[in-house]
Order: sequence, then structure tokens, then C-alpha cells
Amino acid sequence: MFEAIENSAYAIWVRESPSIFAYTSILSLHAIGLAIIVGINTLICLRLLGFVKEIPLPPMRKLFPWMYLGFAVNVFSGGSLLMANMTNILGNWLFIVKLVFIALAMINLELTRMWVFDKPGPVDAAGVPKHGRAVAISALVFWGVAMVAGRFTAYPNFVEAWLGF
Amino acid sequence: MQALSDFLITLPIGDFVATYDWVWPFCETLHFVGMCVLLGTVGVVDLRVLGVAKGIPIKLLDKFIPLGVIAFVVNMLTGFIFIAGNPVGGPMEYLTNLSLQIKMVLVLIAGVNLLLFYFTGIHKSLDAVPADGDATGAAKAVAAVSLFAWIMIIVMGRFIMYNDTLLYALGL
Repeated sequence: MFEAIENSAYAIWVRESPSIFAYTSILSLHAIGLAIIVGINTLICLRLLGFVKEIPLPPMRKLFPWMYLGFAVNVFSGGSLLMANMTNILGNWLFIVKLVFIALAMINLELTRMWVFDKPGPVDAAGVPKHGRAVAISALVFWGVAMVAGRFTAYPNFVEAWLGF
Repeated sequence: MQALSDFLITLPIGDFVATYDWVWPFCETLHFVGMCVLLGTVGVVDLRVLGVAKGIPIKLLDKFIPLGVIAFVVNMLTGFIFIAGNPVGGPMEYLTNLSLQIKMVLVLIAGVNLLLFYFTGIHKSLDAVPADGDATGAAKAVAAVSLFAWIMIIVMGRFIMYNDTLLYALGL
């Protein structure tokens, strides 16, 4: 099945077309989506951890649709890049680690939305709702691991040598 | 360009990159982290100035800018390591790369734009904007240029390794 997807007209276009809109632009979109979602989420984490704590939390909720936009851009661009090289990428365990940590980061983002913004419970002395710090730290860890694994997906041999596989 | 390349080759960075295989991917990861922090700070201030997420006071959000400057310095340093320490084609391969040249021009535009922001009174004018208020037209123009420049810097950064695609599109 993977081969059928790799040989589909769209996958071939993404992989082989010399068009400026093919592989390189889709790769660029993937970096933009990453910057949007991880950038905004990092800002919210820092605020929850006490950085510029004078900023009111409720209006920061309006940044969530932008994070969802970044995520949608990356589901599309990442899906396209995956289709173009499916067998290779799915056989790379670092890519699987990346996917798992993206899933954790997205679940964590939804918990942040619920616990900190949509149904905040009592706030602590710093004005942060319960679990606010925990979800902030988890977000930084999950995105951090996802990004390291994502970058090192290009260097599986290095990683295996370091880890002594 | 050749003189600059000759100078960069005399630095020990190439040896450093060649000796330790973790340096390159480690710097790449840092470069991506810096990109996210830069967009998450400067980019969000730009969005708020343009009218997104009203309710966040611009002058408080503005306190995240120094973090964006730190991220920029991290990316200047890691970017410098990529150019000076390029293990395959040496510095010349990057210095003559059209995508990288366009990216550097865009960084310059973003820098001049930032100077305009701080030294023409636009930054000061933001102090008077209420939490849910609108910034001035001049401030919005600077924010729009900043967002456009940073997004295109990301795009041109990704094009460096696929420079042929750009040359093909331009008929070069």
C-alpha cells in the first residue's frame, strides 16, 4: 500500500516536479507551520511560568486559532512530504518518536485550552490556574523532543551510533 | 566573496564540524528552536499590532522582544557555523547561493525595519494603545513588513538546499 501511495500522481509531483510549488515550497510551509504553533505555544508557556506575568491570560486564548492554523498547515505539508517518501520515512524510528511527541503536545495543548483558558479553576498567587505550570512545562518538553527527533530523522545512523545500537 | 570565503576557511570551525559529527545536526536543531522563539515573540507582537488578539496589552507583550533578540543571536551564530564550517562545498557554496543571498537581504530589511520601529517614535506610540485598542497605521505597516520578512526568511532558508528549484523558477 505504501508503494501505491508513493507512486500516486500527487506523491510523484511533490517528489519530482521541478516546479517551485512542489517539494521545496511544501518543505517551507512545514517550517512556517512549525514556527507558528511552537512559537505561540512557547510564548503561552513562558507566560504561565511567570515571564511577564502582568499580561492577562484570557485574551491569550485568541491565539489558539492561530496555533490550529499552524497545525493544519503542517498536517497538510507533513502529509504531502510523507506521501512522497512513505516507505523510507515510516521505516525511520526517529520519525515515529517525532509523531508520538507531536500527538502528546497536541493533547497537552487541548488540556491547556480547557484547564487554563476555557474552564479555569481557582488561580494561585501568581494568577495561574491549577495545572497551568504543569501543562507549560510538558508543552516545552514535548515540542522540544518532537523537534530534536524531527531534525535527527535526517541522521538515523548518527543517532544509532551514539546510542550504541 | 572569494576573500570572505578564504578568511572563513582559516577559522577552525570547519575542523570542529568535521571532527564532531554531532555539531551539525545539533546546530540545525538550535537554528529551528531559534526560529520558533523568534516567530513566537516578534511575530506575535506583529500580529497584535495588526489587530489580532486584542485584549493583550501591546506594551506588555513587547517585553518578550529581548527573548526574540536572543533567538536571533543564536541563529546568527549557528548560521555562521553552517557557512564557515560547510563540510562539503566550503563557505563558497553558501556565499554564492542565491537563496541564502536573498535570505540575508531579507534579514537586513527586517533589521532596518526594527530600527525604524524603535527610532521613529512608533515604538513609543504603542504605549498609548489601550489593551483592546488599535495601533497607528505606521505601526501596522512596520508590523506587516516584519511578518512578511520573517516568513520569507524561513522560506528562503529552506530553499538554500534546493537552490536549483529557485534558479529554475527564475529561468536562470
